[in-house]
Amino acid sequence: MNEFMTTEAATTGILPPRAAGAKRNVWSWLNVWSLGTVLIAAAMTVPILAVLIIGLTPGDDIWSHLASTVLPGYISTTLGLMIGVGVGTLVIGVGTAWLVSTCRFSGRRLFEWALLLPMAMPAYVIAYVYTDILEYAGPVQEVLRDIFGWTLKRDYWFPEIRSLGGAASMMTLVLYPYVYLLSRAAFMEQSVCVLEASRILGRGPWRSFCTVALPLARPAIVIGVSLVLMETLNDFGTVDFFAVGTFTLGIYDVWLNMNNVAGAAQLAGVMLFFVVFLMLAERFARRKQRFHTTTAKLKALPGYQLKGAPKRFATVACALPVLFGFLLPAMVLGGYAVTNFDAAANAEVLRHAGNSVLLSSVVALLALGIGVFMAYGVRLRKEKIVTFVVRFASLGYAVPGSVLAIGVLVSLGGLDNGIDGFMRRNFGLSTGLVFSGTIAAVTFGYLVRFLALSFGSVEASLSKITPNMDGAAASLGHGPFSTLKRIHLPLIRGSALTAVILVFVECMKELPMTVILRPFNFHTLATYVHQFASDEQLGEASLAALAIVGFGILPVIVLSFAITKSRPGHSTEEPTS
Amino acid sequence: MKGLHVIGVSHTFGDNKVLDNVSLMNPAGELVCLLGPSGSGKTTLLRLAAGLERLQEGEILINDEVVADPKLHVPPEHRGIGLMFQEYALFPHLSIIENVSFGLDGQPKNKARRRALEMLDQVGMVPYAENHPHMLSGGQQQRIALARALAPEPKLLLLDEPYSGLDTNLRGQIREETLNVLKASGVATVMVTHDPEEAMFMADRIKILGDNGRILQSGRPHDIYYHPRHEFVAKLFGLMNRFESVVKDGHVEIPLGRIQAESHDEGRKVEVLVRPEGVLLEIGGEGAPLDVMSTHLLGHDNIVRVVLTADNVATGERDVYVRIHHTFEPELSQRFTGNIDPEYAFIFPMGEAGELTGNGTVSASQPEAAE
Repeated sequence: MNEFMTTEAATTGILPPRAAGAKRNVWSWLNVWSLGTVLIAAAMTVPILAVLIIGLTPGDDIWSHLASTVLPGYISTTLGLMIGVGVGTLVIGVGTAWLVSTCRFSGRRLFEWALLLPMAMPAYVIAYVYTDILEYAGPVQEVLRDIFGWTLKRDYWFPEIRSLGGAASMMTLVLYPYVYLLSRAAFMEQSVCVLEASRILGRGPWRSFCTVALPLARPAIVIGVSLVLMETLNDFGTVDFFAVGTFTLGIYDVWLNMNNVAGAAQLAGVMLFFVVFLMLAERFARRKQRFHTTTAKLKALPGYQLKGAPKRFATVACALPVLFGFLLPAMVLGGYAVTNFDAAANAEVLRHAGNSVLLSSVVALLALGIGVFMAYGVRLRKEKIVTFVVRFASLGYAVPGSVLAIGVLVSLGGLDNGIDGFMRRNFGLSTGLVFSGTIAAVTFGYLVRFLALSFGSVEASLSKITPNMDGAAASLGHGPFSTLKRIHLPLIRGSALTAVILVFVECMKELPMTVILRPFNFHTLATYVHQFASDEQLGEASLAALAIVGFGILPVIVLSFAITKSRPGHSTEEPTS
Repeated sequence: MKGLHVIGVSHTFGDNKVLDNVSLMNPAGELVCLLGPSGSGKTTLLRLAAGLERLQEGEILINDEVVADPKLHVPPEHRGIGLMFQEYALFPHLSIIENVSFGLDGQPKNKARRRALEMLDQVGMVPYAENHPHMLSGGQQQRIALARALAPEPKLLLLDEPYSGLDTNLRGQIREETLNVLKASGVATVMVTHDPEEAMFMADRIKILGDNGRILQSGRPHDIYYHPRHEFVAKLFGLMNRFESVVKDGHVEIPLGRIQAESHDEGRKVEVLVRPEGVLLEIGGEGAPLDVMSTHLLGHDNIVRVVLTADNVATGERDVYVRIHHTFEPELSQRFTGNIDPEYAFIFPMGEAGELTGNGTVSASQPEAAE
């Protein structure tokens, strides 16, 4: 301060008095945000970095062993699964989105939101259900045998559900809503003018769709498919149950059966290449999306009135995904729950449900708090370093749970060793493992993976508030904390709630990380269902599975709410209060 | 000095210099208008004064206290300024009275409420105290924004295009009201606008900011209109008739007449700008012959396009616009003679190749001698 005063006196020759607030320099205030933001964000990147570092460090012989034996299989199986799920979700998602957003047919209003329902089903849950129905001892094959008089398996051909194709079908059925949601939003945003222009220039509805609507929606579709493929890579329950050897399964195999964390991390490192590719595709599409907005003015889409066969086809095409992706499995589960009620409803399940709800709530609230802190930190100071670290930290959503879990294991293990060594050197006592294998590890893993969800929705919501609000509050004497509390938080209440719900439900469904990170004898609903279903005891787990699906419906409600609000003709103004 | 003092402020965004060595003095009770095209950095100057942007070069003082220099940044909440935004930025989740008392946190609750009601009374909005912003019209929101900014009795009030959201009829009325409230409060006020008419109406003094980020001219509205020192300033107030000529015997000759040009070098190539109201039409007088091409009624005035019929006129200079009282409506092809009222004609020197130099604003390399 002193030195600064003299330099100023030297340059200006006068010593003007300071304003009252000058001592409370702006730096000290904002550093809380910037520094805090950078620190938290950095902590979130540790697991990913740990995997990268170990993955790139040439080490044990296990790597060459893996590379020469199982790696080619993992790669081809994973690619096969991605292609299957990608094509499947693309066709169902874009097709249904086009039908409900531009055509008129029976049940369109209903399908608009019902098509989202399969989102509530974790892939592993419908995998258990369909296996139960379609396997050799299941009701479908039994009925077929009765009708045709077959007795043995070799008498007839029936598709094997426990296969790559089966896994791809299961995932397609529950993941297509991502593509549906995004491409539908893209179709809705297209000005009716461009479609009308295309019609006037002589192109029919079908050619208009192919040459105008589809290319305009392409970035959104690419984003949707990338998200689907990220989820595909993330899946553990289905591929484990079906014994489809993907990367995720390989990581478990190396970690659990070969008891080799470093080898698992190296596999995870290779898997990150797939992730990076998907992320680049997504980022690139998002960047392109900005140039694909045709106009700000929305008008109701044309709404081709379908008649006769096309009309029936449209209804059936929209009904099938809902039926197979949600209604049928939900009904089967419900049936099991009723018949096995005594076995399914027990104190154990209640305890696991309690674990799930408590853990998910804590993570959801933490994620919201951290998300708000980081988003506001970025808003206050758009410094390159802060923005970069935050962007990197929110990559967690793209990284498969198994990879993150290995990263968490490795980094917390390192931390524990560090603490233990320090305590031993200085105090002569061993602390052992402090964080590894605790709830804290699970919580941290969840946070790394789902922080992007809450951060993203808070940031999007904040960006809708004009910076002039901040300016107005500041000019009226309110600092950053006060402004956040009195202006921003009340204004983003709605999306904060959405963020909490989304993270909560993702945590309830989470399986791949929980399996690796959970403490001994600790179960969530998801791990419990997975364990019982793997032992062919779906009946006992049916109630727990239904509970997961029940919670999964929450975001569907939120999303369908958003859909109704965004429909042209309804108010599209920012929700205020 | 009470009020705002800006000394030698420069500011760049990337490669774009939006403010170049700008100084400004705004004592309490005076309203200064910053007038300039969009992108000229006038809003940036406001944001710097408010503390919403960090100062890069120069110094800003409020009531003789330094609030910003390149090393010091007093945050906006400690500057004691009022700021009114173009779109008002009322807090949508708070009622009107809560909005107005938002800046009165330090005071006891009932005192703050009294002050807020007092401000609402000044702008005639007491009946709306419990409403929310979205229930109000644009003009009403503007009044609330003004009341909110003035409630904490700021040392300085900054207005950013305060009327651009209002329709023309309302604008005149609100302008008048605002001026009354401001004069009653006696606060130093800086207003930013791109509308010259608005600046003329509101300002005690006008500062004109060019798109090179420099102050081109400053003075009372009268000076700006009648003594523009820059082609750019002269053109701010709309349509101009433009001629080129050379200074000869202390005069310049244009088709419409001869004007004194003693302050310009002999033989210098110059540009002559004549306001449409500076062309005087006569029937059968001594001036240059003109034919009427079209007449447009603008309301109070008619704007008439005439064409110079003399042979010695360059093609680009044949069309002349004349502003006349609306009761006088000439017929098509009617023949007039034209003369110039020298008060509305301005001469600016040009370079060899025909571009403007000296006082001209087009070439950024020329040093600036505004004040």
